Amino acid sequence: MTKDDASILHADLDSFYASVEQLLDPRLAGLPVAVGTGVVLAASYEAKAYGVRSGMPARRARELCPRLRFVGGNFREYQRLGDAVMGVLGDFTPRVERVSIDEAFLDVSGARHLFGDGARIAGEIRRRVREELGLPISVGVATTKHLAKIASQVAKPDGLVVVEPGSERGFLDPLPVGLLWGVGPATRARLEERGIRTIGELARVSPAVLRGLVGRATGSRLGALAANDDGRAVAPGRRVASVGAQSALGRCPVGEAPVRETIAFLADRVASRLRAKGRAGRTVTVRVRFGGMRSVTRSVTVPSGVATTLTLTELAVGLACGALADHPGEREVTLLGVSVSNLVPEAPVQLELPLAGDDPRQAGTPSGLARRAVDRALDEVRARFGRDAVGHGSVVFGPRRGVPDAFRALAERDGP
Amino acid sequence: MKFRCERDTLAEAVATAQRTVASRSGALPVLQDLRITAGDQGLELVGSDLEITNRVHVPAQVEEPGVAVVPKLLGEIVRRLDPGPVTVSVAGDEAVVTAGRFTTSLRLKPAEDYPRLAPNEGQGVRVDAAAFAGALRQVVRAASKDDLRPILTGVLLTSHAGGLRLVATDSYRLAVRDLKGVSMLPEGQRVLVAAKGLTEVQRLAGDGEIEVVLRERDVVFRTSRAEVTARLIEGEFPNYEQLIPSGYPNRLVVARDALLEALDRVQIVGQNRDNAAVRLAMSATGLELSMSAQDVGSAQESLDAKYEGTELTVAFNPVFLRDGVDAIEGPEVLLETVDPLKPATLRAADGSDFLYLLMPVRTS
Repeated sequence: MTKDDASILHADLDSFYASVEQLLDPRLAGLPVAVGTGVVLAASYEAKAYGVRSGMPARRARELCPRLRFVGGNFREYQRLGDAVMGVLGDFTPRVERVSIDEAFLDVSGARHLFGDGARIAGEIRRRVREELGLPISVGVATTKHLAKIASQVAKPDGLVVVEPGSERGFLDPLPVGLLWGVGPATRARLEERGIRTIGELARVSPAVLRGLVGRATGSRLGALAANDDGRAVAPGRRVASVGAQSALGRCPVGEAPVRETIAFLADRVASRLRAKGRAGRTVTVRVRFGGMRSVTRSVTVPSGVATTLTLTELAVGLACGALADHPGEREVTLLGVSVSNLVPEAPVQLELPLAGDDPRQAGTPSGLARRAVDRALDEVRARFGRDAVGHGSVVFGPRRGVPDAFRALAERDGP
Repeated sequence: MKFRCERDTLAEAVATAQRTVASRSGALPVLQDLRITAGDQGLELVGSDLEITNRVHVPAQVEEPGVAVVPKLLGEIVRRLDPGPVTVSVAGDEAVVTAGRFTTSLRLKPAEDYPRLAPNEGQGVRVDAAAFAGALRQVVRAASKDDLRPILTGVLLTSHAGGLRLVATDSYRLAVRDLKGVSMLPEGQRVLVAAKGLTEVQRLAGDGEIEVVLRERDVVFRTSRAEVTARLIEGEFPNYEQLIPSGYPNRLVVARDALLEALDRVQIVGQNRDNAAVRLAMSATGLELSMSAQDVGSAQESLDAKYEGTELTVAFNPVFLRDGVDAIEGPEVLLETVDPLKPATLRAADGSDFLYLLMPVRTS
């Protein structure tokens, strides 16, 4: 909903992981810092100035910036400080929607009589986070979530941008389309081919042409965003609607074995997160991205919720193999993702009579109960001794992945 | 083809035949329609999806014999007519239906496209219609509706101790009914009949007797109202006898109607939630039913009951439990249990010809 004045805030910590490292070890302050070992997970502003980006192989980053300092990653501290920042935000309004470890939306329309207008509250947030926690945070203030998010991106590093009502068009028009939510490299390239580089240029393209260019769903959404039409409200404590995880594979040749291994790894992460929430999901979606950013999704909906690792693995592997079979021309898989939606509370299990040939995917069969028992045992061992203490063989002995599990736990989001 | 038939007679016959036409647009669209044959004996109406076939014979004044395949619309039209004679005349690919001052013409599919159905010939065994329908009422409900498990969508008919035994299970519950003294099948024979067909038999049983003709691939049930032909399901029915526990440490006796009414009240809070379970807490002081559903609320009710055994709480799917209690004939229900995870048995406290085995729900 478009408000009469700018009362939606997007608060986003700057280079969060790297900033925390510089805070914990003052000798790193002002130096180019990267978090990670084989792959850059996060880079400080000093490192970004050299062109170092997250997701970049460490070797390439060192070529760009020979002075780059790699640090291991204090994941507990990231979580603690991220939570502390949310605590500061919560002092201004209960209407805080945390969207990841280091960013959140706030609706301060009800808090102005206490703390002043949006711009004033944003300034106060920045001052307190800097003084109390020692971290830089950028804040965008606008009339919609989408615009507030763009404003915070423009404000970085360590800045504040307020988009006053009435000035939205002038603010948006010159900005690059890549700032719009959901415009990745592939969409950006497609738009650039048609000479569309700025949000203003995008807003002037007719909806029909846009849909033809980037597809029906994306086209409609982008058109709305470019026109600053965003009806989403700040939703504090909203119920999670999906749980997912994905892995970039570099350039992995198409083949069933590596796909199976990666899917098993992802399904294990997703299923254990579902169980930790006491939820199960009826729709399983697999995303497969091939070389050249071409990606396909496949999904299946089952009669009762799934939260069992092996059952989710089987369903997801089936979907992924189906997607591969449908695209025999593809040579490389660059990313795999598994997500579960259509969430329901983990239900009591209707037990089944021990008939011959029972289906282990059915929770109430003896073999289904055995799967559940294995999951529970794994969850308990992991709760006491850590996630790496135990796992399914195919996952434990599978290929090493560039991204540490602790980092994944912070970065994996539950979707809307 | 041309005939005249009373509206009530025709409406009922069309409704019966229509229940077994093919529901989905499968390979043969013509199976979604009814076949009507007019001859010396009156009318024959047939609805079939090739698995189940309903055939109805009704008296009619036939002016011109013939065969036609008529769309289901006919049923809707006839249902809305005033009582009185209805005339149907078919010429080419069109049927004209006239009643009083109303007239309609319907486009027809070619009658020769309708598959040839084997005639319902053969002499059969006669069984008491009311007794057989009563047994079907108790058992058919336990059969599976999941086409992925075709064997469980059937009801097992088998000769047992000189009588007939009917068995069905959907893997969550199992119903077994003995009809003593009814010899429908030769000793040692077992057949698996689609539960959907037996639902029709139960509905059309009527008075008197049912004639059962068992053939190689199907079975025909001739009732006073219609003939139902059901394909036999091939495959091995699960070995159900080993599923029934040999003894139970805990026995609860409770009034059937009171239990049914209490269940109906208690389960309202869990309506439309397939994950809500009803808990039965059994002790020397009686039975307490309870149910709770997240975001809705909770309900409980206590009932007088006789209980022998250790204090125990078992949870069930309320629909499955209600189905079992409802199937029992007799004033009191005997519920026997082992523990919260083993199958429980429901039967009449004063009878042994019906048994309903039910798996609990695990709530933790």
